[in-house]
Amino acid sequence: MFHNGANRGWPGGFMTIFRWAALPLLVALLIGVAPAHAQEKTGNKPGFTLPTGSARIVLMRPSISVGEQSTGGMFEPNADWTMQARDNLARAIAAVQGQLGNSVVDIIEPVGADAAALAEYQGLFSTVADQVIVYQFFPGNRLPTKKRKDSFEWTMGPGVATLPGLAGADYALFIATEDQFGSTGRKAVQLLAALGGVSVPVGVHKGFAGLVDIRTGDLVWLNADLQMGGDVRTAEGAQRRVAQLFEGFPGRPVAVAVVAGR
Amino acid sequence: MMRPVAWLAALVAIAAAHPVQPATPPALPPYTQAYEPAGVDERGLWMQVDELERNLRQSPFIIADPHLNAYVRGVLCRTVGDDRCRSVRLYVVRNDGFNATMAPNGMMMVWSGLLLRVRDEAELGSVLGHEFAHFELRHMLDRFKQQRGVTDILSWAAVLSPTVYTSISATAIGSIFAFSRAQEQEADLLGLRYLAESTYPSTAAAQVWERLMAEADATAAGRKRKPSVHRYTAGLFASHPTELSRATYLRAAAAKVGDAGDPAAAAYRAGLAKWLPHFLADQIKLNDFGGTDYLLGQLAADGWTADLLYARAELYRQRGHPRDLVSAAQFYQSAIDGGFAGAEAYRGLGLSLLRSQQVDAGRTALRTYLERAPDASDTAMMQALVAQ
Repeated sequence: MFHNGANRGWPGGFMTIFRWAALPLLVALLIGVAPAHAQEKTGNKPGFTLPTGSARIVLMRPSISVGEQSTGGMFEPNADWTMQARDNLARAIAAVQGQLGNSVVDIIEPVGADAAALAEYQGLFSTVADQVIVYQFFPGNRLPTKKRKDSFEWTMGPGVATLPGLAGADYALFIATEDQFGSTGRKAVQLLAALGGVSVPVGVHKGFAGLVDIRTGDLVWLNADLQMGGDVRTAEGAQRRVAQLFEGFPGRPVAVAVVAGR
Repeated sequence: MMRPVAWLAALVAIAAAHPVQPATPPALPPYTQAYEPAGVDERGLWMQVDELERNLRQSPFIIADPHLNAYVRGVLCRTVGDDRCRSVRLYVVRNDGFNATMAPNGMMMVWSGLLLRVRDEAELGSVLGHEFAHFELRHMLDRFKQQRGVTDILSWAAVLSPTVYTSISATAIGSIFAFSRAQEQEADLLGLRYLAESTYPSTAAAQVWERLMAEADATAAGRKRKPSVHRYTAGLFASHPTELSRATYLRAAAAKVGDAGDPAAAAYRAGLAKWLPHFLADQIKLNDFGGTDYLLGQLAADGWTADLLYARAELYRQRGHPRDLVSAAQFYQSAIDGGFAGAEAYRGLGLSLLRSQQVDAGRTALRTYLERAPDASDTAMMQALVAQ
């Protein structure tokens, strides 16, 4: 009931003095998470290219959450796994840098009023990315303005250019992953349910990576996958996850070199 | 973690024991500083809220005013004691609702709508003490485990025996909420114990809920709705005990403790004075005439201050019946006579008078507004009204 983010059934994660609506919790309990259907995974702004060795890319603090999925489908956050994933993914991203053809540096997090501005834009990015996934990557669900072929028009606005910590950089890179490994009980329930012809989803492995042009605020590339591979708790798995996250990265010299099969 | 069979037994026990009987407030448990989460579940929950807190700190909804923060924290410390309050990070959130929250890692949020509604430090302390009790009793972890246990059982039942599933599902889901209500009551009673041990009177806790019920009635009446009947028994899906039962058992428990103390109403009014106009403005925007009028009446129990009169004038002008505009003009005038500092009282007075056929007096008031606030964003519009 306490997923990664406050938008699902808040305030499920807190104790409160006064009542909260029971509906989101009930819906989560009774319906569970709908399985992902066929989706497009990558969007590129038409005509955008990233020439090799020309751009300075700043990596924002990745949002990483790892845990287990209980028999009943609840997310059980795991601090150790999340820490391992944070380390492994950071190393894998550093290793893949050379293959991206440009320099990637970690953001130096500002403090005070600057930090507030940056946090707002990180929130804005995850909202925009969610909208792209829901209203562009699922073709049947496209908004009328997004139906034109080869259209990928999403922006965070020119305010990005004034953000602290991004001075002198050309692009901002956002990365988020969420992993819920199915528990033994969940898998057993899946097996038993399958005997009765009912499908029970096990595990959640999703992530996205996005590149924003700092001068214009335009989203120039987004890669999102609701069913990702690679066990981020291990070094090899994290490398595989990062390779998948960077699939379709614009201006990459060798497009398939790091993809070790799925 | 308990095994499923044990959970099933606990579930039946909870269902049988319902409704939970009120108890006397417990004695204060010994307190340890700098608690560190233990075990996979607790560390996981803490990690999640640690991450949330990183973002929350940067939220534009957090009121950064150091004086207000120090004041609210002071009330918490005087309620639960200096050693306990040190482990809490307290954030005042600009939110017009009545609530306060506590995360398992000691991150407390206090909503501005709560600050507007309590009348003294003791009442605020009762709410903050309730939230702190959740933290001290590690309620979030227990709730997480209980929900996981129940949903595990339900999943097994669903695949193993549809008959069993059908017969237990309502009880099982109900038990999640029954568990939550039992925790809330436990936190209420430990919160009352903090109050009893503090300089504040523990009778304050029940008053909060009594006035909240009255406000809900006033809101319903103002919206021409039937006021909801206040019951003792909570519904199946209620997260908290009903306001009526909380007021009742808290009053009974306070009578048993029999402590006395100074609720510090004057100190509370002084501590909140700077922010009161802002919180009142938020409340007026809710378009809740009945509830807001009741609330203002409560706040004005010791007399109508200029801030309260101005808020009442705004409320009446917002509803805007012809008779409301007459009342609003009177309230604006009283606020001005009572020393209301802002020029906006003349603006409201002028607009109310213009719409009450008192054109000359209205224009005079608007001219005063323009003189006192020459750089206001609506200057051009007001000039047009004056020039007509």
